[in-house]
Amino acid sequence: MSDRKGSIRFTDANIVYPNGAVGMKDLNLEIEPGEFVVIVGSSGAGKSTLLRAVNGLNRLTSGHVEVDGVAVPQKDGRELRELRAGVGMIFQDFRLVKRLTVMSNVLIGRLAHVPGWRAMFNLWPAADREIAARALKRVGISEKAWVKASQLSGGQQQRVGIARALAQEPAIILADEPVASLDPVTTHQIMRDLVRINRELGITTLVNLHFLDLARQYGQRIIGLRFGELVYDGSAETVTDEDFRDIYGRDFTEDDVLDEDAV
Amino acid sequence: MPPVKPARNWWLWGGSVGFLVAMTWWSAVGIGFSMTELACNITGGGRLLQESWPPDFAFLPRLVEPFMETVYIAIIGTVVGGILAVPVAVLAARNLTLGPLVWFADRNFMNVLRTLPDLFWAMLFATAVGFGPVAGALALSVFTIAVVSKLWSESLEAIDMGLPEAVRSVGGSWLQMVQFGAIPQGLQHYVSYVLYAFELNVRASMVLGLVGAGGIGMILETQRANFEYERVTMIILAVLVAVLVIEQISETIRKKLT
Repeated sequence: MSDRKGSIRFTDANIVYPNGAVGMKDLNLEIEPGEFVVIVGSSGAGKSTLLRAVNGLNRLTSGHVEVDGVAVPQKDGRELRELRAGVGMIFQDFRLVKRLTVMSNVLIGRLAHVPGWRAMFNLWPAADREIAARALKRVGISEKAWVKASQLSGGQQQRVGIARALAQEPAIILADEPVASLDPVTTHQIMRDLVRINRELGITTLVNLHFLDLARQYGQRIIGLRFGELVYDGSAETVTDEDFRDIYGRDFTEDDVLDEDAV
Repeated sequence: MPPVKPARNWWLWGGSVGFLVAMTWWSAVGIGFSMTELACNITGGGRLLQESWPPDFAFLPRLVEPFMETVYIAIIGTVVGGILAVPVAVLAARNLTLGPLVWFADRNFMNVLRTLPDLFWAMLFATAVGFGPVAGALALSVFTIAVVSKLWSESLEAIDMGLPEAVRSVGGSWLQMVQFGAIPQGLQHYVSYVLYAFELNVRASMVLGLVGAGGIGMILETQRANFEYERVTMIILAVLVAVLVIEQISETIRKKLT
């Protein structure tokens, strides 16, 4: 094992929700630093559950999950906050502070890295402003730094979301359906951004997708989930339509692909 | 064929009206209300009205100072109460609070503040810090906390929790989750409720004068006690105009916000 950061390991992990729904079932999974993993499965298969278990937004019912050999704390507190500081997350609905500028939103990614009073009174150290500016540059929207987040298009807002995650200088990025609210053109731009950042910075990247053609096109490794169980784990190059049928438990339709010609 | 209009439930309708009439009758008997007594005394009311007209416009200049005192009391009460209402409201919002015990304690604290009327607080503070505008400002601070925290905690409960969760996901603390995730979403409502509280406070600070908490209410009370009804009319007119103006300004700002 290398000394690079960003490995994830699930061991016999289970998550049962209070309503009895099974979110994760006997999961054993190892992800190496720098991997680009696409997670597929029908809705309710446990894709989000898996991502959210990595940064402790969902707690395990039993089993273990480790990041870089350290168990993810299963209760709120300093230790969990420290872990989260090194794990970026990107959301389907962007989750930006709409009334604040793009820059302020990206600086939120630095919250866990600066003294509390500085963030509270918006007195960010120059070094952290610099990191935020670099993150914006990397997603190519530096010129929007002082624009209100509410004035951006969906694709631009998601780029701010990515920049916020990058500002954390994370070892891992979790992207939960990052393109589900975007049009096809923007979808490909955002997916290319994620792949490029993964290559350039070597950040372990986990992406939930429900479009199969996107998974095949951008994934390096594909993980298939069904009813919380791992049912497929293999390279994107060798995944077959048959495999996808097994993951979804049915024939797939044009609803499962972004570009209808791919069916 | 058009759908048949359902028949009105006359029993329910008649029953409700009957119930209201009965309740009113019962209550009137309870407080010893009698039409004959009212008719006999109405001439007294007529004499009062006669003595109250025309308003004493020469008295107007002497109202400026106490009226400004009333506004000052309202401003201090609104600002101090508005700031203190922030933590009270946040801890009373189920989705943001620090735990069931804190939530329960804070909710009950709010209930106590709301149950006791502003006049009670004015008298309490007048006893504590002496009669005058300071007691009035303190009373209105408490009143503002009660109004703003109740309204705002409810709108905070309706915010989208996605953003607070995103702040948590970067490793933010509870306080940061509130500051960056929750408060930006509730800011418009907050400003609107504080302005509303200011309107209420201007009106309330006149009543407060009656119990010696300073402001224009104090003048109103002295003139009434001296049977200077033409001056009383002048005060009421001036206050009416001032309140309408302030409400209009505040309402315009609030409309712009939402």
